[in-house]
Amino acid sequence: MIQLFRVSKEYGRFRNALIDVSCNIERGEFVFLTGPSGAGKSTFLKLLFRDESPSGGQILVNGRNIGVLPPSQIPYFRRTVGVVFQDFKLIARKTVFENVAFVQNVLGLPRAEQKRRAYHVLRRVGLHHQMNARPEELSGGEQQRVAIARAIVNQPTLLLADEPTGNLDPALSEEIMRLFAEINIRGTTVLVATHDVELIRRMGKRVLTLDHGHLREREAIREAPGLVREVPFLPLG
Amino acid sequence: MGIKARYVFGEAWSVARSGPRQTAMAVLLVALALYVPGLLALLSRNLGRLAAAEGDPVAVIFTLDVTADARGLARRLADDRRVAKVRIVGSAAALERFRQAYPDLGDALAGLEGAPFPPTLEVTLTRRAPTGSGRQIAAAARSWPGVESAESEEEYGRRFRDAVRLLRGAGLFLGAVLTAAAILSVASAIRLALDLHREEIEIMRLMGATEGAIRAPFWLYASVEGLAGGTLALVLLYATFRVATSWLARDPHPVLSALWVRFLDMPTALLLPSIGLAAGFAASLLSVGRRS
Repeated sequence: MIQLFRVSKEYGRFRNALIDVSCNIERGEFVFLTGPSGAGKSTFLKLLFRDESPSGGQILVNGRNIGVLPPSQIPYFRRTVGVVFQDFKLIARKTVFENVAFVQNVLGLPRAEQKRRAYHVLRRVGLHHQMNARPEELSGGEQQRVAIARAIVNQPTLLLADEPTGNLDPALSEEIMRLFAEINIRGTTVLVATHDVELIRRMGKRVLTLDHGHLREREAIREAPGLVREVPFLPLG
Repeated sequence: MGIKARYVFGEAWSVARSGPRQTAMAVLLVALALYVPGLLALLSRNLGRLAAAEGDPVAVIFTLDVTADARGLARRLADDRRVAKVRIVGSAAALERFRQAYPDLGDALAGLEGAPFPPTLEVTLTRRAPTGSGRQIAAAARSWPGVESAESEEEYGRRFRDAVRLLRGAGLFLGAVLTAAAILSVASAIRLALDLHREEIEIMRLMGATEGAIRAPFWLYASVEGLAGGTLALVLLYATFRVATSWLARDPHPVLSALWVRFLDMPTALLLPSIGLAAGFAASLLSVGRRS
């Protein structure tokens, strides 16, 4: 699914965000990316959805070398990847439905189809009753769930999340992680960048650790039993 | 898959709504920028029409007594080698000419019983006639029996044509300058709208929106802004024309009445919204042409 070969990223001559990073993430895996602030987690994710291009090395996503994607192809590539940000990045003037259905709207999908798809994903995150609300009317946890709904509405094979629980309290963080686990169970590869060690421990997934731009891999932790089944607000289907 | 029209219109409308004051200001600026050259075009058209109605440039006009032998006087004038043509304009022909030139004012003369215009002779000189010939012929003929007055029009005709040319030139120059100003003002409004939407443009890019999908609403927004400004300029111009003609119908003026006779013809009038549209689109290219 994701293959990095000796990837490096430099900002200027003296700041190396990533140094000689190589790793594989298999299709359907759930992986945490962790490390202290400034370790290169966000840069790692930005490289994966081509918000940044690598200074060296190769990045393959779904067998495609995204480091050499021409600019005109980047938007089409991004539509195949779902991304969730710490600050949600919702468009304030649009409703929940409009935020979720944005790409479908650009592509001119019939309004009824947009609504059907948006309703479906919003139901999965438990916000189908808030379709006409504006982001400012929602709590932080709800906004993050809208962002997740937007990220998965195109049925991406890869979901990236950059500190998705950074602005949320522990209970909401757990709720969001359960949601990611549920999305992962349906076959989507999930890569979550976080520095919340306790959350990683509770989830029991494979962990990649970045330290000053160098990648170190920890042994995969066995998944905590029953975690996904404890999701009462998530109707499957 | 391309960008869909409904999305572009929806986003453009949304951009317009997010800064109604800036939108209104830009439309007003375009309207004012196009109104001024439109007004000059209207005035120069009316002056030009006046010049065209006169046909060949007439060098001398003789006003005759009603009892004068117009044909005899015309033959005498035609004997002069400097004279190319002498036209006899009777009272009825003068009235008809006035009605054709001023269809809105001609009705005002319909109620008069006597002929309002005396018979005249219009003398056109040959191209080889030396400068000042018109003045000399007029001076010589003033003492002829039946001639009430003889006025050389040489200088007037030249000045008149120069004035029309000057007015057209000024209109074109002001039009170019003000259109450039309109383009810059719409471009500023677009830059402002881009700044207001910078964050969401970045989000749109992250969600996979193409540059075309991001820019198209701004292109449409600016073009419609220009079109609205041009249309407003046309409406203002027509309102000015209606007010001026109704005011001059009540209180005619020897000079101003000639400048407010006919409105612009349809193709010229439609130039204002078209220039507005083009100016808006040019402004959008100027502001969102490069990567925003």
